[in-house]
Amino acid sequence: MTSEPGGGRREAGAAPTDALARCRKEIERIDADIVRLLADRVRIGREIGSLKKAAGRPTIDPAREAEVIRRASELARDAGLLDEPVRAIFWQVIGLSRRAQVDE
Amino acid sequence: MIIITRPHITDAELDHIREKIESVGMRTHVSRGEHRTVIGCIGDESLLAEVPLKQLPGVESVMPVLKPYRLASREFVAAPTVVRVGDARGAAFGGRDIATIAGPCSVENRAMLRDTAIAVRSAGASVLRGGAFKPRTSPYSFQGLGVEALKMLAEVRAEVGLPVVTEVMDTRQIDIVAAHADMLQIGARNMQNFSLLAEVGRVQRPVLLKRGLSATINELLMAAEYIMSHGNREVVLCERGIRTFENATRNTLDVSAIPVLKRETHLPVIVDPSHAGGDADLVAPLAFAAIAAGADGLIIEVHPDPENALSDGDQSLSHEAFATVMQRLRPFAHAAGRGMPTGVSAGVAA
Repeated sequence: MTSEPGGGRREAGAAPTDALARCRKEIERIDADIVRLLADRVRIGREIGSLKKAAGRPTIDPAREAEVIRRASELARDAGLLDEPVRAIFWQVIGLSRRAQVDE
Repeated sequence: MIIITRPHITDAELDHIREKIESVGMRTHVSRGEHRTVIGCIGDESLLAEVPLKQLPGVESVMPVLKPYRLASREFVAAPTVVRVGDARGAAFGGRDIATIAGPCSVENRAMLRDTAIAVRSAGASVLRGGAFKPRTSPYSFQGLGVEALKMLAEVRAEVGLPVVTEVMDTRQIDIVAAHADMLQIGARNMQNFSLLAEVGRVQRPVLLKRGLSATINELLMAAEYIMSHGNREVVLCERGIRTFENATRNTLDVSAIPVLKRETHLPVIVDPSHAGGDADLVAPLAFAAIAAGADGLIIEVHPDPENALSDGDQSLSHEAFATVMQRLRPFAHAAGRGMPTGVSAGVAA
């Protein structure tokens, strides 16, 4: 996504700048983890796709998707996050797996 | 289909109802009110035929949606949506105050843009407009400065402190426009460009959606629905005049569209008196009528030297004329129960 326009950056003393840099490093590490986990998830999704195909079952399973979303909402709330945005993210995550399974 | 829940429904009950609906391949949208929560069902409603919705714990009633639009409808979201543009000091559309967008039809050079930005800000405008890519009726007319203009808009925003809105005409321009602007405009001629609507629906920027020249109110709301169904719920609607048999004015401002839209949708509604009349002398009376009819804001073309503007000179106001219109607008806003932000005149933003 594009950078935030209008978001001014204010330079403070040396110590807060160091802390900021550290936090940003940490965010980058977490982002890399998220992407790696997404790739793992897509890989397993592909596997499920071929298993379903072998069993002659349809690739898309709305009931299972709804279950995944409900579980994600519960986990989000337990983790102190708003469930609505987490649901939206998980529909996107499901979309990644769906595309991978359909492309097989 | 919308589902009204019982008061004080638990998260687990809500999750269960949503799972039931989503398990047949539909999607849900939840609007939490003070007393009741409304669950909107999105997708092919015939899929729900076999789901015993009324039997689910927490469900009070199930009602069909009679309107073809869902996310844009007041049935789905009862409270008015306030769309914020720019940072904390930026503009809010749909709140108590009237928000005004002003600036040149097209960005011609940096100096004129900066001077206009300072002038409109001091007169009370809260967003700067300026065309970079211009959809002109004639291919021989000035087509805009493109990316150069986007850079100028971003520079002037940083200097003057007004968020900016500019039109995006093509899906290929979305990323570059979103990188420079705080709000994306979909012009009247692109109101039903569905691939463009879908793409701006995926961007995290508020969208200013102008009504097409021959589009009905229903079609305008369906266009908003397109953007919203792709994830972007921050849409501001703009009535800018429609094509009628009358040729004394460029278009006919559909004043009745304002209260009809306010009744049908929770989205903010603004009016473009400049394009509606096509004549600088008509801007003030049409702006007054718009605010009196309940519009949440205005978008007005302002140019330092309308006589020599490269586009839309006839309908542009000079800096002084714009300041006068904004002054005269105040009593109309107050009569309609609205406020008007005061201008910021001293220097440029810190």
